Amino acid sequence: MTARPRATGRLRDWAVLAALLAYATPFFWQLLTSLKPEAELMVLPPLLPTRLTWEHYRVVLDQSVMLRALINSLGVGAITTALALCLGLFGAYGIARYPVPGKGLLLLVIVGGTAFPQIATVSPLYLLMRALDLRDTWLALILANTSFALPLVIWLLTGFLQEIPAQLEEAASVDGASRPRAFRWIVLPLLAPGLASAALLTFLFSWNEFLFAYTFTATEASRTVPVALALFPGVFEVPWGDIAAASMLASVPPVALVVGLQRYLVRGLLTGALRE
Amino acid sequence: MIAPKEKTRARKAVKLRCSAGRMSALGAAVLLVNLSLLVLSGCGGPPESRGGPVTLVLKHAKILGPVDPIPRLLAEFEAEHPGIRIKAEVLPWSSDEQRQFLVINLEGGRPGFDVMMLDCIWVPEFARAGWILDLTPSVPSAELSAHFPSAVEAGTYRGRTWALPWIMNVGLLYYRSDLLARYGFQPPATYPEMLEQIRVIRSGEGNPKLEGYLWQGKQYEGLVVNVLEGLWADGTTLVGEDGRVFPDPERAQHVLRLLRMLIDSGASPAWVTAADEESTRRPFGNGEAVFLRSWPYAVDLFERPDSPVRGKVGLAPLPRHEAGVPAPGSTGGAHLAVTRHTRHPAEAIELARFLSSTRAQRAMTASGATKPTRMALYADPELVRGSPNLPRIHDLTLGGRSRPVTPYYVMISTTLQPELSAALVKVKTPAQSVADARRRLEFLLRDLHE
Amino acid sequence: MRSGRPGAGVTRRRRRARVQGLVLLAPALVTLGALTLYPTVWVVWLSLQRRIPIFGVNHFEGLGNYAFLAADPRFWKAVEVTVLFTVASVALEVVGGVAAALALRGQRWGSRVALSLLLLAWALPSVVTAKLFEWLYNPAAGLVNYALGGVALNWLGDPRLALPGLILADVWRTLPFVTVLCFARLLAIPAEIYEAAQLDGAGPVASFTRITLPLIRRILLIAVLFRTLDALRSFDLMFVLTGGGPAGTTETLTVYAYRSLFQAVQLGLGSAVGVVVFALVMAVAWAYLRALRREGLAA
Repeated sequence: MTARPRATGRLRDWAVLAALLAYATPFFWQLLTSLKPEAELMVLPPLLPTRLTWEHYRVVLDQSVMLRALINSLGVGAITTALALCLGLFGAYGIARYPVPGKGLLLLVIVGGTAFPQIATVSPLYLLMRALDLRDTWLALILANTSFALPLVIWLLTGFLQEIPAQLEEAASVDGASRPRAFRWIVLPLLAPGLASAALLTFLFSWNEFLFAYTFTATEASRTVPVALALFPGVFEVPWGDIAAASMLASVPPVALVVGLQRYLVRGLLTGALRE
Repeated sequence: MIAPKEKTRARKAVKLRCSAGRMSALGAAVLLVNLSLLVLSGCGGPPESRGGPVTLVLKHAKILGPVDPIPRLLAEFEAEHPGIRIKAEVLPWSSDEQRQFLVINLEGGRPGFDVMMLDCIWVPEFARAGWILDLTPSVPSAELSAHFPSAVEAGTYRGRTWALPWIMNVGLLYYRSDLLARYGFQPPATYPEMLEQIRVIRSGEGNPKLEGYLWQGKQYEGLVVNVLEGLWADGTTLVGEDGRVFPDPERAQHVLRLLRMLIDSGASPAWVTAADEESTRRPFGNGEAVFLRSWPYAVDLFERPDSPVRGKVGLAPLPRHEAGVPAPGSTGGAHLAVTRHTRHPAEAIELARFLSSTRAQRAMTASGATKPTRMALYADPELVRGSPNLPRIHDLTLGGRSRPVTPYYVMISTTLQPELSAALVKVKTPAQSVADARRRLEFLLRDLHE
Repeated sequence: MRSGRPGAGVTRRRRRARVQGLVLLAPALVTLGALTLYPTVWVVWLSLQRRIPIFGVNHFEGLGNYAFLAADPRFWKAVEVTVLFTVASVALEVVGGVAAALALRGQRWGSRVALSLLLLAWALPSVVTAKLFEWLYNPAAGLVNYALGGVALNWLGDPRLALPGLILADVWRTLPFVTVLCFARLLAIPAEIYEAAQLDGAGPVASFTRITLPLIRRILLIAVLFRTLDALRSFDLMFVLTGGGPAGTTETLTVYAYRSLFQAVQLGLGSAVGVVVFALVMAVAWAYLRALRREGLAA
């Protein structure tokens, strides 16, 4: 009685995995394309190349602005995450632990900030960046990304904080610990996974952000990866192989996050949704 | 009992206040760190070099052709002008992106470049916006008369010269001379003639992969050019005397219907509605089409040693709709302009004049696929030896006509593109497209004057 | 101020705590105010202007831009495309997402690998996804045409195929989000319920409709809310994949706004379209939240 379910169960598991592998085909096809020699790109049967080549990656890294774009994206993403976490942590702590007036409404407005269409704020932000002479700088992108990262972080962290019972800090204060000490030694360790989730999501969204980056950047001094990819130069015809290689490079952090830090990612997604 | 409680409460209150104060202090410290990070990231830009060589930045699009002539030319310039260094930066491939890049940078007031290559249709716009330098004092009119009149016209706005002609283009008809000869045809003078020739040749050849007439119908500037040439051939224009678009809407609809008919009758494949210069040049260069409407750059590629159509390509003026009404090709090309706020105007103007000089244009024509704006070069024996079609292209260029020279041309074109495309792919009727285009442009252009 | 009464210390402490809370919140609120609230007000103001920076045109015009949009066929076409895109995308995502979650739920091992494969699609930048699908849809060398048996469909050039192609790309990209949400919820459902239902003779369909569906209803509604708002605001994918073409068949309101803003450089008109998008998103969010609240689900 136990043998048959196990066999069908194993088969079923493999079937599901195969189906999901098929689901991820677009990605793997692009990966394959990035390794296909130029001459074999535009001919379709056969699917697989006769040999693998790194020439596309070499072209992308040597001759295009992708390397600089990767640096820009990393810098903008890291600073955005740091800023959003810093501001958001204090803001969330304020909302979660203190009797702020109009807390419910405030939280609703902040959460509403995550639903803001970027296309509505891009024109005033463009004028603002122009007035502050911030076009083509990291700062412009950091500010623009923070505008949608901060509400998200506050929302997530408020949720995580509300899961940590306030009694823990009250007990600590009874024992003589000051508020910051309680925060540092009790809350923060418990909040660490939540912070990680918030940081990951913020970095991911900052990395993937396109509209603001496309509008506020002008040269490779500040161009981020998505913009560099969208503006990938072609001379006579579209260099599909090079674009595929550039796409793979652009996907390294997101893929690493998904594969390595999946737990935090999922937790962040769920908490954001379940808080509602 | 009350006293100790109050004491603990007071102690707690003090602790709370201090702790909140400490937390706020901690928060302030972290914020300060973040702010300094932000400020540091805001600082950017290269340090200003005082003294030392003057560095000019030239922005140009990739010059089509087998060899890039720019680096060698710039090296020559630097050799002749010690103390000036040129940094050449390539613009994005697509014309739209080039313009967006230039507009965003120039509009911000501090572009990082001095000399730039402009599509000729941008010159009045950039001049009106006050982004480029008036070159009239620096360029004598005698120097300008060496260039094609339509090129000079495109670089002129309100009677002043704002940009120097650099590269010339004209729309023309490529045809397979071998196929036409085989069936005893001369290059078609009218569209009906061309359609007939296509029919005969295709049925005679019996090759299903042989297309008839290729042109650019994708939703971009090239489509507007193709439609414009159709409008001219029909005796009307795009922008009327009063500045209104489609002064003769009936004729405009008729032209759109004609273009649709080309596809419906099978003379042009359906994919021309998504085709640009390169996606039409390649099939023709592989021998898969009888006629192609394109720019002069293609002929050198067709005459390459490994080209399947080498020696089989002829050039002709665009066919007319009816005999008697001329069908000029649209002229185009690139100009060189100097940014208004350049720190080295004299040197920048010098560079622009050097690049548009006879010597530089000769080098570019010899090594690249671009055509010069200086008329004399088309009779230069060495150049003609390398590119025998030059005299023919010269005559065709003289017969060409420039697109409307108005600061609002780009606005007009980008508004028209989706409407014209909608008519071509049959999402809208030609009447609807023309009406919508006029209405929209009236709204956008209201009370804007030249 | 209720100083004389008993409990005054509590009130004072509470007031102090309130102030401290506000102090903690202040930096975040100031930042949000500057970067989100202020631009929102500004964009409404901009939408009432005629503003063309290139030519120095800048004057107040009232509702002229909105009047134009109200009678603008391109605007209404964009509304149509936006609505079609949103509805089709969300519907397909929900159906596919639930199916994938059900499949994952039964996974004995390898669920982490499975989830990774799925989340890959979600985590990629939308520009990368656009390039991915642009290559897949290539008429000559694209995998899609090959898989369909060598047809020469011009996915991104045919006005009838471009929107479905776009929707497919978007569904591929966002289905994992729905899956993750449903999967987490499904995991929390104890297996005994299903076993009991099976003993009662319920087939798989019945156990799905009677047990699973009601239990994941709440999370599904939330997922639909998120996805709808995201789809309405979606910009990157269509801008890079098709640019709104061919002939405006994939031009959503966001693409129309962007083209008006930065291609035609009509800041007033583009801002007006942006305000419309904003109002649409807020209206949909409000309607959803009210529906959720009515069902007693919202926190």
